[in-house]
Order: sequence, then structure tokens, then C-alpha cells
Amino acid sequence: MFYFEKRQQTPGYLKALIPIISLLLGLFIGALAILITGINPLLVYKGLFLNAFGSWYAFSETLVAAVPLILITSGLIVVFRMNVWNIGAYGQYIMGAIFSSYFALFASNGLSKPVMLTVMVIASMVGGAIWALIPTFLKIFWEVNEVITTLLLNYIALYILKFLMYGPWKNPSSYGFPLSKTFPDTAILPIIFKGTRLTIAIIFALLAVLVVWFLIKKSKFGYEVRVIGDNPLAARYAGISVNRNIIIGMAISGALAGLAGMTEVSGIVHYLQVKIGADYGYTSIIVAWIAYLDPLITVLASVLFGGLASGGYSIQITMRVSYGIVGLIESITLFSLVGAQIFLNYRIRWKNGSS
Amino acid sequence: MAHHSIYIVLFANTVKAGTILLFPTIGEIFAERAGILNLGVEGMMLIGAFVGFVVAYTTKNPYMGFLAGVLAGGFASLIHAFISITLRGNQIVSGLALTIFGGGFTTFYGQKWINMTLTHTLTPVKIPILSRIPYIGMIFFNQDLIVYLSYIVVFVMWFILYKTRLGLNLRAVGENAKAANAMGISVYKVRYGWTFFGGLLAGAGGAYLTTAYAPFWLDGITAGRGWIAIALVIFAMWDPVKALVGAYLFGGINALQFQLQATGTTIPSAILNMLPYIGTFVVIIISSIIVKTRHIKPPKELGIPYIREEK
Repeated sequence: MFYFEKRQQTPGYLKALIPIISLLLGLFIGALAILITGINPLLVYKGLFLNAFGSWYAFSETLVAAVPLILITSGLIVVFRMNVWNIGAYGQYIMGAIFSSYFALFASNGLSKPVMLTVMVIASMVGGAIWALIPTFLKIFWEVNEVITTLLLNYIALYILKFLMYGPWKNPSSYGFPLSKTFPDTAILPIIFKGTRLTIAIIFALLAVLVVWFLIKKSKFGYEVRVIGDNPLAARYAGISVNRNIIIGMAISGALAGLAGMTEVSGIVHYLQVKIGADYGYTSIIVAWIAYLDPLITVLASVLFGGLASGGYSIQITMRVSYGIVGLIESITLFSLVGAQIFLNYRIRWKNGSS
Repeated sequence: MAHHSIYIVLFANTVKAGTILLFPTIGEIFAERAGILNLGVEGMMLIGAFVGFVVAYTTKNPYMGFLAGVLAGGFASLIHAFISITLRGNQIVSGLALTIFGGGFTTFYGQKWINMTLTHTLTPVKIPILSRIPYIGMIFFNQDLIVYLSYIVVFVMWFILYKTRLGLNLRAVGENAKAANAMGISVYKVRYGWTFFGGLLAGAGGAYLTTAYAPFWLDGITAGRGWIAIALVIFAMWDPVKALVGAYLFGGINALQFQLQATGTTIPSAILNMLPYIGTFVVIIISSIIVKTRHIKPPKELGIPYIREEK
């Protein structure tokens, strides 16, 4: 039988090795899953890789997917560090998209582009933050489990979006498709690299990372977050307002997810529709974990998983390999990451005979 | 009679839709009683629904399909058990991974099954005498065998929990794992066992959905029912009989929604489809307040890994 023995010190290489091995394990199990269907997994992975990193355009599409991941994950890091589980990034993202679209669709008259975009950015952050604060206050006042409420709010946000798209905000000339009118030009984020879909949203994303990095590593707030994460009871004794920090953290998290929703409708789609970025909310949970809740590593991890999403989307169209493969790879990676945490603090020992 | 029949259909469908939620809710109650929080219910239900559908389709036997779905849910839960029990990983994240896994697995393999329909589904079997009771008979005793199985499961699990050594051991592990270990109970075995049981029942809920209630395949067919089941665990305050009430309450919302849509209504379908989630949202808030004010405690060891001290 084996047992775990506590380590005196965590070897540095292990921390770097675990994410890499986890991702490889995800890809390996994914390959087996593809093999069962009678398709050569190497061909699929080659296609996936080329569609993610094989050319400048492919890479630019990877970055397009990485931008919302960076925005959402930067926010999640703040709350995950306090062991507050915001699983509702998807709903907050939708609310951000809805709030900003309102101004693009109904209040764009006479506003210049910079003003319009600023209004939309603020609206999206407010929308996302509101959606994140509802479960936060429920948690603080009545100890309502935030995992369940944030998750339920994803579905509720989705059906609000559907209601708008099939009803009051529907484009009358969309031939029955559930989408809004196209945004006016003033409500569209400018592209920064010609021939790609990369907008100035990439700057928002990098700014978000820097702000979160500063908050976590350099500010009093970050210090308090760390104490709360280690031991909320001790934090309370030390005079730290746990609730206040959770509220601030969730507001940041929701606002950034909302902003990600704005960059999608204003930068990529240019109208509001039912299907917007459904997977980013869950993928960012994996990104946050693989990056050890570190804002700077998040950027790298987001590009990696952005590539997986973008490449996976392409091979679905070109090779007819279901997008489900991305979920399979992601989930196995996450399982492995969570399971492997124990090796940071313990080592396996074998003991002979029965005991 | 015609006037009454619409209500009888509604209530009979309530029981059916409720059964989909009842199985996973009871399964999760017992996993949580053992101290294991499994947020992968939605994923396990999806896997159960898919495997159940595929096996029912190929064997033309819905019972075989149901059984296969149950087992598939059980096997899926073992991943979570291994990570949270043996490797002492974070149960919240591992459970989410299981939900993502169920989604990815069924989207990937389900691609070629989309919109296919079962030719052989679970059909009602009237129970003699009982089914002749006015109203009650038509609602509760003119159902398929799996619904009857769910009645038995509720009773048996209530009995096991409160009246047997098995239940005593389970509660001991969930309330104080260290003390349970000192009493000679294997904490690991109890936790593995009940997590697996939770998986079997999540699989049952999913498989019942596709072999009886909605006998076709759609991507993401469980549509968040796994999360509703997790919320119902709190509503039920970790009690299998109260789980029955909660499951039928939400089954009722589902059935009403379906009936309104079928008869044509002016309420937009997005609003109708939102109802179960709004309902769950309200119920979880009320249940949480009740749990808090009445000082009902969730199992003390919930979500906490157990580490046996080495000698």
C-alpha cells in the first residue's frame, strides 16, 4: 500500500511540471477519445495546432479568444484567492453584453465614438458587477451558497438574453434569427491590427491584468485577500472586514466579466445575439487554476486555452470533429491539476505488507 | 371527467419530471452526508442520459438503457471520488471538472445522435387495485416501473439513513471523520461507497430523462437539472423524504411549463423556460435562511478531505 508523507519543502520544478503534465494528460486522453471514433488523433491535433498557432491570422484568432479569457480570469483570481467561488462569469458576461448593447442600440444619437465606447465600457462593468453582487449579498446576509446562486444566475441571464433576442430587441429584418440590429459605427471597438479581428480590447485585457496584479501583490487589499484565503477566522480577529473584501472582489470579478461581454458584442459580433461566448465562463476557471491564481501567468494560460478554443472551433468546421473534444481535454486537465496539488505538499511512500 | 383529466395529466407528468430530479437529489444527499460535495451532478446526469439513450436505442430495450445509464453515472463519480478522497483535492473544482467532462464527453460522442428518437421507451404499468383509487391512482400508480423504483428508493434510503448501522456509520463519517475512524469505521470506504452511490443515482436521473420523459438526444439535454438537484439537497435539509417534496415541486414547474407550451400561450417561451431557475433561486434563498435561523447544520465534514494519521 502507499501513503502520503508530508514534504519539508516543495521542489520548485514540481510547480512548473504539474500544469505541463496536466495539459499533456488532457491531450492524451483526448487523443484516446478521438481514436475510439476511428479518426487519427494526430491529424486532428495537427489541424488544431495549425488553426491556433500556425499562421499570423490563426494566432490573431487565438488572441481574439484569449482576450475575454484574460479579462474574466483576472477577476476570478481575486475571489478564488478568498475561497469565494464565482461560477457565474458566464452570466456576468451576458449582462455586460446586454447593458452595453442597450446604449449601442437605443442611446447612440449624437454621441461621438470615444464617448459612446466609454459609456458602453462603464455600462458593461456595472451590469456584470450587479449580476455578481446579487449572490454576494445573499452569501453575506443569509449564507446562501454562492456556487449554486452564481451558477443559476448564468441560466437566468441566458434566458433574459433569449427573451430580448426573440422579443423586444429583435431585429425586425433578421428573418426570424434571434439577433438585434447591427450597432452604429460609433459603438464598434476599433481594430488595432489590420486584417485581423483584434481590437483595442486587447489593451483592456492587459490593463486588467496589471491592475489585478497591483491589487494582489502591492496593495493592502491584496494582503487582506491573502489572509482571508489562508484563514478567514484569523482575518476577522486581525480586524479585517471579510465581507467588505468579498464585496469588492466580487464587484471586480463581475465588472471584468461584464467588460469581456462588451468586447465580444462591440468588438467581434457588432450586434447582440443569443450565442455569445458560451464557454469562456467555464474555461476561465481552468485558466485560473492552471495559472496558480497568478495574474501574470494567466496571460500565458489564456493564450494557450484561447488557442485550444479557437483551434477547436476551426476543426469542428473543417474536419467535423465535435467541439466537445475541447471540453474533454479541458476537464481532464483540470482533474489532473486538482488531483496533483497534493504532490506539492506530500510525497508518496510505499509500505510493504499489510497494515 | 374531461375537465379533471387535464389536471391528472399535469400531476402525472409532475411525478415523471420530478423523478428525474428525485434520483440525483437523493444520491447527492448521501454523498454529502458522507462529507463529499460533488458538484458534478450535472455532468454525471448528462453521461447517464447519453449512455442510457444510446444503449436503449441499440438494444431497443429501455430498461437496459436505464441500467447502463445508472452504471455510467456511477463510473463517472469515481473520478471525483479518487481526486477528492484519495488525492484530497479541492472538491468544488473537481466537481466542476466533472460537470465540464460530462458536457464535453456527451457533446463529442453525441454529435451523430442528435435529434434521434427512441422507438422503445418506458411505458406505464398499472398497479392493480392502487391504480383504481380516484385521482391518486391515476397520478401515482399508473406510471412506469422506474417511477415505482423511485418510491422504493426514497423509503429504503430513509430507512437505511435513520434505522441501520450503515446509516449510523455514514452519519458518523459526515459529522466527525476522526471519531468515526477511531470507532473502527473506514472513512475512505464509506466515502467511496456513497460517492459511487450518488453517481449511480445521478446516472439514474439522466437515464430516466432520455428513456421515458424526453426519449430523444439533444446536446446538453439535462439543461441544468443537476444544479437544481444540488439546490434541492439544501431544500431537503439532507433528508430523503423532504427530497421527494422538493423534486415534485420542481417536477410540477417543468410539467406546467410543458403543458402551457403545448396548449399555446402568450407567455414568451424564454420566460417559461426561465421559471425552474428562478424557482430554484428563490427556493435556495428561503432554504438557506431556514437552515441558518433554525440552526440546521450541513454535515460538518462536508468538503473537507480526511487524512488518516500514519503510525
